[in-house]
Amino acid sequence: MKYSFGIEFERKFLMAFFLTLTLAGCAGQIVKDNSLTADTSLASLPSWYHQNVGFQMMGDNHYSGSGALVHLLQDADLAFTKMELQKCQIFLERAQRIASRDSGVYVRLSYLFWVQGKPPQAEQMARRALAVMQDGEGKKEIKRLLTAIQNNQ
Amino acid sequence: MSSCNRLGILGLMKKAKRSKFRIAISWLIKLSIVGVVVLAVVMAYLDAKVRDKFEGKRWALPAKVYARPLEMYPGLSLKPKYLIQELEQIGYQRVPNVLTPGQYMVDGNEMDIYRRYFSLYDSDEEAARIHIRFNDDEITGLWLDGKPVDIARLEPLLIGGIYPKHNEDRQLIQLSEVPELLVNTLVAVEDRDYYQHFGVSLKGIARAMMVNMQKGGLVQGGSTLTQQLVKNFYLTRERSLKRKVTEALMSLLVEFHYSKEEILETYLNEVYLGQSGRRAIHGFGLGAQFYFGKHISQLNAPEIAMLVGMVKGPSVYNPKRKPKNALARRNVVLGVMLEQGLVTDYQNKVWKKRGLGVVQYSQYQRVEYPAYLDLVRRQLRSEYAETDLTSEGLRIYTSLDPVIQRSAEQAVSKRLTQLENGYKIEKNKLQGAMVVVSTQSGEVEAVVGDRNPRYFGFNRALDANRSIGSLAKPAVYLTALRGDRYHMVSPLDDGPIKVAGSGGQVWEPQNYDKKSHGVVPLYQAMARSLNQATARLGLNVGLSNVVQTFKDLGVERNLPAYPSIVLGAFEMNPFDVAQMYQTIAASGFQTPLKAIRAVTTAKGELLSRYGYEVKQAVKTEPVYLLQNIMQKVVKIGTAKYLNSQFDASLNLAGKTGTSDSQRDSWFAGFSGDKLAVVWVGQDDNKSMPITGSSGALRVWAQTFKDLPLKPLYPLETENIEEQWVNVQHNALSDEHCEGVEKLPFIKGHMPTQTSSCAQKNELKSWWSRVFN
Repeated sequence: MKYSFGIEFERKFLMAFFLTLTLAGCAGQIVKDNSLTADTSLASLPSWYHQNVGFQMMGDNHYSGSGALVHLLQDADLAFTKMELQKCQIFLERAQRIASRDSGVYVRLSYLFWVQGKPPQAEQMARRALAVMQDGEGKKEIKRLLTAIQNNQ
Repeated sequence: MSSCNRLGILGLMKKAKRSKFRIAISWLIKLSIVGVVVLAVVMAYLDAKVRDKFEGKRWALPAKVYARPLEMYPGLSLKPKYLIQELEQIGYQRVPNVLTPGQYMVDGNEMDIYRRYFSLYDSDEEAARIHIRFNDDEITGLWLDGKPVDIARLEPLLIGGIYPKHNEDRQLIQLSEVPELLVNTLVAVEDRDYYQHFGVSLKGIARAMMVNMQKGGLVQGGSTLTQQLVKNFYLTRERSLKRKVTEALMSLLVEFHYSKEEILETYLNEVYLGQSGRRAIHGFGLGAQFYFGKHISQLNAPEIAMLVGMVKGPSVYNPKRKPKNALARRNVVLGVMLEQGLVTDYQNKVWKKRGLGVVQYSQYQRVEYPAYLDLVRRQLRSEYAETDLTSEGLRIYTSLDPVIQRSAEQAVSKRLTQLENGYKIEKNKLQGAMVVVSTQSGEVEAVVGDRNPRYFGFNRALDANRSIGSLAKPAVYLTALRGDRYHMVSPLDDGPIKVAGSGGQVWEPQNYDKKSHGVVPLYQAMARSLNQATARLGLNVGLSNVVQTFKDLGVERNLPAYPSIVLGAFEMNPFDVAQMYQTIAASGFQTPLKAIRAVTTAKGELLSRYGYEVKQAVKTEPVYLLQNIMQKVVKIGTAKYLNSQFDASLNLAGKTGTSDSQRDSWFAGFSGDKLAVVWVGQDDNKSMPITGSSGALRVWAQTFKDLPLKPLYPLETENIEEQWVNVQHNALSDEHCEGVEKLPFIKGHMPTQTSSCAQKNELKSWWSRVFN
């Protein structure tokens, strides 16, 4: 599999980050550590990440949509933090069947593919997310995600 | 002769006799040695045969194919009657009080389901009580074991199998799962000396001979359970001495190598217990499920008696086909059980009065879906060998929706009969096919390949390549809308058109009504399916561009850039058409159509998964316009029949298609979540008095009339702008003017003229100026 340096670095970094996060969760603490977000490494992550994936996992969730959708997205996010990527994908696909116009589903799928070193699929998912996103700010974020994926391909 | 001589002769004679005796003995010994050697060789051969199968893989287990598990959640549109239909299909019993898994009850707007444990490719779902509250055909509340939950799944319907030779099906069980009463009854009825003999029972043979002599015919067999197993497991049904001897020798070998328990377990899994269509029911495990909808461990005495009674003659004592025979046989077995002290006299009397209690509908008596299974098989072919599919007991999880599948099957067969009656077409002459997919996930939810949905033959949904007629038109209009020259109300000339081919032939398409309609705005040309206007448009945008659009929409076959392709003078099958329309229905995002979600081993280990894939094949904006036009096909065009059948708020979209000389009737239609492509025609490709509107469209409507559909809202982007236009004058106008319509346009691609209400008359001449 081909990885560009940027992707590989980011993937490794995220693994380390999620591991830290999971360990923090296991320790029974509230996972809302401001020093993490202020961390220069973390700051290097694109802001769409904080808003669409990381922010929720930090405990300050912005889940929207129906109960079933939220439930599946939370399950997917949890699986992601444990690096159970296949499980995460299955939850997201179930969510996609229920709410095919929820951009959060596609953003997560995009990120998931990207982390797995599949930028073409990640790009297509991001395009889908962009198409279904109705909010202007959200669109901006997804465009940044798209650019980030394209720059790292 | 002297006495000496006499003595000598006698001695010689004695010697000769002795030597003959010796020779005979010697020959006997030699023959015996040869016999022993031959027997040893035969035994060694048979031994190898016995051990090879007994210790190797004993059975080829068919792959089991499952439908999608129903996901239930508050907000889901679900009519209780369809939930009940699915519960019945998966073998749940309706009861007044839910006590055990596999039961459900209905109480007004509420339902209680005791879900069974089941295993899926992603997780195991524990047995649990699900409480559901409905309001207006929608789930409004959901509880799992008393706690409110967001989502709950129901076990998937087993929809078929991929069978090995002879279509043997079985559900393997272990001896520990089998009720003791079943084992004791089986032994009492079939082989009372089972635990005493070594494979062959001389006592049993003698007893059988006595009975047969008394009755004057072959009433009782002397075969032991081991011999029966050997016969079924290793040998043919041939009746010969050689086969009998082989059977006896092999039985001895089986008994020599294996314990009574092992032999019994194998017997219980091997025995043939009847037929279900092409499927052969083998083993008590599947027998219990098939006839009683129960796990073997839950069988009661009369049920055990019936199943054990069937061993003697699965066809003669089949409870579904010959219930009287089966009842009589069951009572005979109950008599044996009494005689052997396995049941009491009272129990025997009570149970003999009971009916057979065979379930009419269990998921193991499944209705098979041949056309869908055919698709599953084809999609697996690239990754799995046929032998893996028919022997490894794989579990294949698909996206089939049993409710939609059933509705589609009924619609095809019912509507075709109605069409034959209405148009005086010879009975059973019309054929049909249908493919239903989820527009957004690309998952195939139903496939019908024949008007008889149980037919395992030619699958028209995948193999009937027929001329698609006007179903090709969206590709032509999309080509135009992708470019810079055309918008929704661009004027198109629907006058007569002739195109000369390179070989001197002339292509001269005509409209269905054989009339020309002058100048028509683009969207109306497609809504009304005008051939002349479309042909001219196709030539104007360039045939190679149209071919490219077909490719972008997912048409994989190489289309020649002939003028007639713009009117669909080429063949496609319904499945490929569904792929093309999926791209349109999903706003330009193409997802390869797939029937399979995942494959696991028999033990549930994940082997492969087929996840969601997507590719933006066409920009969203032109598809937005195309969807809008296809909605007009339903509102004002050739598919307006749907208006009378569906709520206008669904905003359905679609396209009818009728091939040359009305040989094929097509309709491809979609809502916000479902796309279905229907084909109706005749296998001999003869003309019919029906069109896309009067044939395939009706099947589509019948299928979805009672099913929940999500409304279609084309995906808007910031580049789409709605404008009031005076359609006849190709000019932007004011909302309050007469004869204006609000239509969508891509920014920068809209009429350049504007008209005020007063300008109406001045602009009237505009069309005349352009088109004379």
